[in-house]
Amino acid sequence: MNAVEFILAGMLAAATPMLLAALGEMVTERSGVLNLGIEGMMALGAALGFMVTYSSGSHALGFVVAAAGGAAISMVFAALALGFVANQVVAGLAVGVLASGLSSLLGKPFESQTLIALPKLALPGLAEIPVVGVLFQQDIVVWLTLLLALAIWGVLNHSRLGLIVRAVGENPHAARAVGFSVITIRCAAIAFGGAMAGIAGAYASTVYTPLWADGMIAGRGWIALALVVFGTWQTGRVVFGAFLFGALSLADLTAQAVGASVPSQLLACIPYGVTILMLAVISSNRKRLRLNSIASLGQPFEG
Amino acid sequence: MKNNLNRRSFLRTSLAAGTALALPVPAFAADVLNIVLIVPSPAADVGWSHTLELGTKALEAEYGDKVKVSLLENIAEGPDADRIMNKTVADGNTFLILGSFGYMNGGLKLAAAHPEVSILHASGYQTAANFSPFGARYYQGTYLMGMAAASLTKSKKLGCVGAFPIPELITSINAWTLGAQSVDPSIEVSVVWVNSWFDPAAEQNAAKALLAQGCDVIFSNAQDTPSVVTACEAAGAYVFNLNSSMATYAPTKYLGVVGTDWAPYFKASVAAHLAGTFKGASAWLGIADNCVFLADWSKDIPADMAAKIADAQGKIASGAFSPFTGPITDQADAVHVAAGVTLGDDDILSMDWHVKGVTTPLPK
Repeated sequence: MNAVEFILAGMLAAATPMLLAALGEMVTERSGVLNLGIEGMMALGAALGFMVTYSSGSHALGFVVAAAGGAAISMVFAALALGFVANQVVAGLAVGVLASGLSSLLGKPFESQTLIALPKLALPGLAEIPVVGVLFQQDIVVWLTLLLALAIWGVLNHSRLGLIVRAVGENPHAARAVGFSVITIRCAAIAFGGAMAGIAGAYASTVYTPLWADGMIAGRGWIALALVVFGTWQTGRVVFGAFLFGALSLADLTAQAVGASVPSQLLACIPYGVTILMLAVISSNRKRLRLNSIASLGQPFEG
Repeated sequence: MKNNLNRRSFLRTSLAAGTALALPVPAFAADVLNIVLIVPSPAADVGWSHTLELGTKALEAEYGDKVKVSLLENIAEGPDADRIMNKTVADGNTFLILGSFGYMNGGLKLAAAHPEVSILHASGYQTAANFSPFGARYYQGTYLMGMAAASLTKSKKLGCVGAFPIPELITSINAWTLGAQSVDPSIEVSVVWVNSWFDPAAEQNAAKALLAQGCDVIFSNAQDTPSVVTACEAAGAYVFNLNSSMATYAPTKYLGVVGTDWAPYFKASVAAHLAGTFKGASAWLGIADNCVFLADWSKDIPADMAAKIADAQGKIASGAFSPFTGPITDQADAVHVAAGVTLGDDDILSMDWHVKGVTTPLPK
């Protein structure tokens, strides 16, 4: 297996935890709410998913409980941000710290335990293509995540529900004037984002790196937040960004393994550099900013 | 307890006495040595923090009710650690074991302010009258692992997943390479630095990147979780790690462990503290000190190689042989250590170059 095959084989799985969390956060932000607690919610999902999968032997059950846990902790954030109209940045960070503390507490008895990984499913036909064939041998969660991304794109851009979510995010006062409950819609979007973060964590701890170790999310929640900005809140661009970030994280390692004399730290920091560049570009003039960002993002709404 | 009588301890003693009257078991006994172990990561069933915890368990076994050990785990290096250290001393602990390099400055200040307290500090370089740095000569063990790896590799390519390119880790990799080359000079070693002390997913990917390049024996250098070990078992490549055995995570492909046993050092230090003779000194402990040990060897290692390894181990323990004995060539093909010269401790402790045969350039 050469370096290119290694990156192709691993990039989808490397992207998946970040992509799941980023898709959820994208929906939350589309409704106008900034949830900075993603890292902690992923950690909680990782702990819950691992505990349940370890005890029951069922990955599916682990994912369900992780999603429920992520949604439940995100309701604490919703209560603060929507119910008490607290500053979303502070509320998100606080709930994120709470969630990562909970994950340490719950996961303590499972420290350094391991699980059996899910088998890879090869797409018939495509998996036999030379070189790029390795791209089509992934576990089922990777395939489901891509289907989910497609579904989110469809709902957000081509359904009434998506229109309502976007209306609430762009102009909550107008949305309320035409009869939609801004709080209810935002609450649902937060719950969806929390559940997705939980699933993302469970993928990290039960499939991607099938072991539990406190702190194993190691910043992937923050990368997910960066991804949403990188993708300018568009599903397709977020998916592309996740693949790019995933590939770069492996390129850093494989460059060293082949003995190439590229500075590995440089490769490792490319995703962040690109995100800053993206932010700079979309903020460069008022029209671009208006076209590419969510108008009411992070602003409290008193219904 | 060697505490000076002050208002705080007077109040506490009064409180303890009061509690003792109320409860059948006294809360504090005057002749108990209170020991605290502070570690940066969760103390799991394996890993660095675990080996330190085992060391304190040995203290409890030795001294029974005479010592009371408290474990503070997952304490981030930095100002919060300083606060926690200060509090443990204020609470009456007089023997501290600081399990991470980053606790050094806070620990030194504490040692200066509390001469009655004795402190052991892992992997540091500063010494004070009541402050001793300690570390393990992992390189003695990794040299022997190199010999074992050389006897099992088919591709003649070995791989190492490292945390950060610091001297302690570079030294282990160099010794491993030299050990392997002592058996087969054509062996090459690739290194992937994860640039993180803790990121199981990246560690596992690093192992897979090495395996994809054909490396068939992997060195998990300074990973506290079985991330690399499980990935190698799944891929059918031999793997070894440091500190505590992870054999259960790789039932068929575990090469062995370069373990560390801190019990003898901790026991000697506590005995000195109790006798009032504790004196700060640097302790860099190896096979001869019964600190570094090798265990859980793979059954696949040929018997003649096992005998050679045992022989080399004996020579290292007796001081007759050091892995860093010249001639040693570096990556730029220059003779770094002349024939017949053996590197001293200072040169080994500050090593910032790779030996020839390590194919990955060292990050600057």
